[in-house]
Amino acid sequence: MKIRIASILFTIWGTIALAQSLHVVTTYPYIADLVQEIGKDHVKVHALAKGNWDPHTVIPKPSMIALLRNADLLIINGAQLEIGWLPPLLNQANNPKIQTGTKGLLDLSQFVELIEIPTSISRAQGDVHPEGNPHYYLDPERIPFLAKAIADRLGEIDPVSNAFYQHNFQLWQEAWEKKIEHWKNQMAPLKGTRVIEYHKLFDYFLKRYELVLVGTVEPLPGIPPTSRHIDALGQLLTAHSVRFILHDVYHPDSASKHVSKKFGIEMKILPHDVAAFPHIKTLEDLFDDIVRRLTHE
Amino acid sequence: MRNAFFLCVCTLFFIEMGVKAQQAPTPSPWENPFSQAKFVPDISLILDGSFVYRNVKNHELEHLWIPGLQHAQAEEAQHGHSHAGLNAQNGFNFNYGELAISSVVDPYFNLTGIFHLSENGIEIEEGYFTTRQLPYGLQLKGGKFLSAFSRTNEQHSHVWDFANPPLVQKVFFGEEGFNEKGIQCTWVAPMSMFWMLGTEVLSGENELSFGKEGFHDPLETIHIPEKDMPNCVTGFTRTSFEWKDFICLVGISSALGESRIGHGMDVSGVEGHGVKAKTQIWGGEVTVKYPMDPIRYVSFQGEYRYRKMDGTLYEKDNQDAIVQSDLIKKQSGGYGQVVFKYGLRSRVGLRYDQVHENNVWQNGLPMPLPHRMYRVSVMAEFNPTEFSRIRFQYSWDHSLYKEESLRAKPVHEWLIQYNLSIGAHGAHPF
Repeated sequence: MKIRIASILFTIWGTIALAQSLHVVTTYPYIADLVQEIGKDHVKVHALAKGNWDPHTVIPKPSMIALLRNADLLIINGAQLEIGWLPPLLNQANNPKIQTGTKGLLDLSQFVELIEIPTSISRAQGDVHPEGNPHYYLDPERIPFLAKAIADRLGEIDPVSNAFYQHNFQLWQEAWEKKIEHWKNQMAPLKGTRVIEYHKLFDYFLKRYELVLVGTVEPLPGIPPTSRHIDALGQLLTAHSVRFILHDVYHPDSASKHVSKKFGIEMKILPHDVAAFPHIKTLEDLFDDIVRRLTHE
Repeated sequence: MRNAFFLCVCTLFFIEMGVKAQQAPTPSPWENPFSQAKFVPDISLILDGSFVYRNVKNHELEHLWIPGLQHAQAEEAQHGHSHAGLNAQNGFNFNYGELAISSVVDPYFNLTGIFHLSENGIEIEEGYFTTRQLPYGLQLKGGKFLSAFSRTNEQHSHVWDFANPPLVQKVFFGEEGFNEKGIQCTWVAPMSMFWMLGTEVLSGENELSFGKEGFHDPLETIHIPEKDMPNCVTGFTRTSFEWKDFICLVGISSALGESRIGHGMDVSGVEGHGVKAKTQIWGGEVTVKYPMDPIRYVSFQGEYRYRKMDGTLYEKDNQDAIVQSDLIKKQSGGYGQVVFKYGLRSRVGLRYDQVHENNVWQNGLPMPLPHRMYRVSVMAEFNPTEFSRIRFQYSWDHSLYKEESLRAKPVHEWLIQYNLSIGAHGAHPF
């Protein structure tokens, strides 16, 4: 009997606690990790996309509608990275709190400077993003802006815990700055290294650590490589003495492998998000892993 | 020396300031202060066309019908309905252009207009608002829209996995689907799994299953008045089960309403017929998707539908004599399809369609109608990007019959279809 009462009380307590914590839904796992760092036990956070899948073409699932239905806050990467999959889910979720133009929808791309903003837009250039390259979060030094935006917005929606979020942000930031120093030191020897990548995914990272991007295996964003393009790429590779081919975890690696073999250039498979590999549990792990893969033979 | 350095820094500072000031946007006298360019809604245009080859000529095809379910095109044309249909002709077809315009109205509404462009003109295919601010997981949709009776019906033709709709969709609602004026209310349950409930009150004008226009014969011996209130109510629910990456969505739908269909009843000296009946349609659907990796997936989609019509049949001969009889129709069918996306740009699919119950009783006597009418289709797609698609499809259609006799006329159909879109980036719901 006692056990039963206790379990009922526990359930009620659990329900209340659940109702009190803020439900945050993020599109990608890296955002969920930041929210967890700042919101701690005051938030319940879920990421919609999986970290090892193509962020452009996430397969929509009905359970994502259920998550969005119950969200107090939706945080997106923005810069049109979610354009191909999120809008219908948002529309079907029937949740007034997270509609466009409300404070329940936070677009992180608004808080950082984007690069590669096209001056003219045509899909003849492939799957271009008018706002610029959307993979900005792969620059460790842009992350604090995102964390600050998240802390501020959490505080705005849940003012009672505002001080808590700001405090957590401060702590996080101090730790992150030490990591930035660490990564900078680690990456310093690679300054000026010439690389190519499959998709224009790691541009922000390369720019930050002054690696030189010579070309891409894709002839145009979203267009699979052709043999003619690979031949042209080969000339670039030899002319520029390229050291690495950077490949992601979700595109087929046959073309990159082919280039790697044919021109004798080392291929590096790099994670692009939290959970891209099972052992990458946090954003810190993500950059640690990228840096380790690039700096270790 | 130090002073000189200070002066130098100061000068540089002021030069810098000057440069900054110059960088401020220079006002253009040609700027339109009333420009509304930023308010342009999302616009997209989709074009769909095909090249078709069949083992029957166009004029033969026009006289084939699906007994008890769908008139031949030639007869439909006589009654003033023009359903050119998708891929209707041998040779080149311009199926449609779809112009979609949508945006946010204000904090309370979204608005979508979808215009169907054909060689003959422009029709409003859909035009509806949806609410943005209703609490408790509710949403209202109103205007003219594709009913949420089954997922298949809700989908636009460019989302289909095959070039034509499933047979049950075609015979119960037509190629344009169950598209009605009305209002829809949906509710998404506050649960961690997806569960949606919805209902619609619709005008009920679908020519194949409902209809509200009255009819009378030339002598006015019978007079069925037009129905001027909404004629149809639907209800639907959908839920999903997911395990790891495996997704299964199941749903049940129903539509209840009245049918008033009059074909040539008011014209003297020709044969005509009319039906006044109560109609109910029930549907069950299942969609299963299993993504094997970020690129490849296998999906299965199946649906079963049942329709019952219970009412009166009026038949008029060319002397304008009327025969009245009790009519009961119980018809059902379904389809199952498997689609395999095996590469970044390539998909293949197989579909089997069937109408397997085609019971029509006139005054309690069964009519001699064929029961098992089926179609098999295979398709292969090449999608260069998200915005373009080329599809090859072969169908073996065993659902069409000659008008004069009840002899099946198997139709073999080969087609190449293109579907291209420009403008706003489309995104498809699950």
